[in-house]
Amino acid sequence: MCTSVLHAALPQFCFVLLMALVTPARADDADALRLADEAPRTVARERDWRGFAEIGLGAADLRADGSTRKEQRVSLDLQVDHALSPQWRAVLADRLDVSSTAQHGGDKAINTLKEAYFSGRVTPDLLIDCGRINARYGVAMGYNPTDYFRGGALRSKVSIDPASLKENRQGSVLLRGQKLWDGGALTLLASPRISSEASSDGFSLDWGATNARSRAMLVLSAKFSEIVNPQFVVYKEEARSAQWGGNITGLIGQATVAYLEWSGGSGRSHWSAAVQQPASGTWRNRMSAGLTFTAQNKLSFTAEAQYDGAALADDAWRTLRAGSPLRYVQYRNWVAVAQELPTQRALFFRAFWQDALVPRFDLSAMVNVDLADNSRRAWLEARYRAEHIDYVLQWQGTRGAPMSNYGALPESWRWQVALKYYF
Amino acid sequence: MKKTLTVLFFLFIAAAVQATERSPQDILAASDAVRNPDHAFGLTNTLIEYRQGKQTESSTLAIYSKADVRGGQFRSLVRYVAPARDANKLILFSGKDMWFYDPTSQASIRLSPQQRLLGQASNGDVVTVNFAKDYRAESAVEEETQDGERRPRRCYKLGLSANSADAIYHRIEMWVDVGDSRPVKARFYTESGKLLKTAYYRRYQNAFGAERPTETVIIDGLEPDWVTVMRYTDWVKREVPETWLQRDYLPRFRPE
Repeated sequence: MCTSVLHAALPQFCFVLLMALVTPARADDADALRLADEAPRTVARERDWRGFAEIGLGAADLRADGSTRKEQRVSLDLQVDHALSPQWRAVLADRLDVSSTAQHGGDKAINTLKEAYFSGRVTPDLLIDCGRINARYGVAMGYNPTDYFRGGALRSKVSIDPASLKENRQGSVLLRGQKLWDGGALTLLASPRISSEASSDGFSLDWGATNARSRAMLVLSAKFSEIVNPQFVVYKEEARSAQWGGNITGLIGQATVAYLEWSGGSGRSHWSAAVQQPASGTWRNRMSAGLTFTAQNKLSFTAEAQYDGAALADDAWRTLRAGSPLRYVQYRNWVAVAQELPTQRALFFRAFWQDALVPRFDLSAMVNVDLADNSRRAWLEARYRAEHIDYVLQWQGTRGAPMSNYGALPESWRWQVALKYYF
Repeated sequence: MKKTLTVLFFLFIAAAVQATERSPQDILAASDAVRNPDHAFGLTNTLIEYRQGKQTESSTLAIYSKADVRGGQFRSLVRYVAPARDANKLILFSGKDMWFYDPTSQASIRLSPQQRLLGQASNGDVVTVNFAKDYRAESAVEEETQDGERRPRRCYKLGLSANSADAIYHRIEMWVDVGDSRPVKARFYTESGKLLKTAYYRRYQNAFGAERPTETVIIDGLEPDWVTVMRYTDWVKREVPETWLQRDYLPRFRPE
């Protein structure tokens, strides 16, 4: 009797014992695996083109009379990259901004042909490009002394975010060749003079803004180690002295990237260029040095020191502010078009928090400080990334004495809400 | 004489057993070989993210990988195919030399090792990794566990600790099938012992002549209802030239 009971119970006992010994998938794991079983099996495919449409509404407080002015903007951005053959591709990037803003009043349409070029692969490690190309160099986040092709490139300024300034600019017409090898590359760019007159026509291709002088640049990249990764640059403009430059990045621990970008050479000051004085051959240095720290919660913070030896020194800046308004405007306009610093020393801070508080919600903050006159500009952005649409809220404020770098800007504050639809 | 022969016989048997018994590190290396081809390759990784049972995000990445001839660890170039807002963005993983490239701003930004950890299916998870290069397997204990298909499976439970500065995680527990060295699941821990995530390797299919996992299910350690499915398709053996794996090539990279 006892034996038969044991016989009957033994398999059940063994099963229970076995199940106890097996490390079970936790209940949470089992739920997750069931969810994964039902995951869609579609795979997104490559496309030759992409683009977005953006609509923005906002307001700006005008310093001149204390009034508030409404602003609207519609933007359309399209990029095409089409393979013509295994060796050749055609690239096109264009942006149209139609806006009514505090600066110019009324509606204004500005089309920016950002890029239009052919790209060829002569051999696997020898590449050439020809056409309008946005050639951008430098590792700094705010001010890039070696980004020599930025002058005159900005036609429509829709945001002061450095990423936006780099994104919404037109390239220069140039021929680019690049030779690659394991751990390095040599790049040669040659850009001809096409026209010396920039155009204010909204639909102009504006060759004069980007190709007013013949230019050439040589870039050598070499990877010394996984930690240190420098790049050396030589840049030469028609009738100007060569400019030497370089940048280097390095790691400090697991969470910090340090960078240094420098450019130096004989040349005229921004003031000489703005008022068209004969150039003096003084050696001038430009530099950006910074650190980016990333925390475990996806918050990254950048602090950058900026120096521009071609800009006005503190005393000269004070004198200009107190002197002729005409000269002041002349200088500020030239600096704005050239995307240079008006004074020699500045600080830049940027914080970016991805998935802040809730998933797909990003917060950005940026502060510019002009150390010559202690004026400041702050910029804040909240962005929610839905599947195809970004919902964006931006605010920008400036503070400073009259005629200071940021205190002289037409708006004391500005806000904007925008919808950005990707297609 | 008979006694001596008996002792020699048992010594011989013990040595033979020793010779055929794999070390924990060997088991780990064998499981790496199941996950990773021994040649350069490309694949498509589709990531689908769920929170509280609802799909919240999805993205598609094209990944090109090759093992470094010097250290043996994989180096990868990752390109976003979807969503549209991220299309054609690139991330270069070459040990500690990591760069992010955004084609719209044409900006190359250096990334820190910390940024490999960001995201549940973190930057470090989407690329191919040979665990045996960065971790020391300190123990191997046989036990049964449930696999990604919720079937019991006889496994070695390996205890891994980081032994390289390139290691993303401080400590890992990994279950490897006793019979065929398939990785079954893994748990990843912080230095303080906190569970970061659990990964199930499942849906084994033939790729490059061997059965390999075509899906990884990642479950967050703190929020178990945060689940990411990584599905691998379009495996292709291909050249990944050394010249691709540097920052200067990122602005020039075009899919082939």
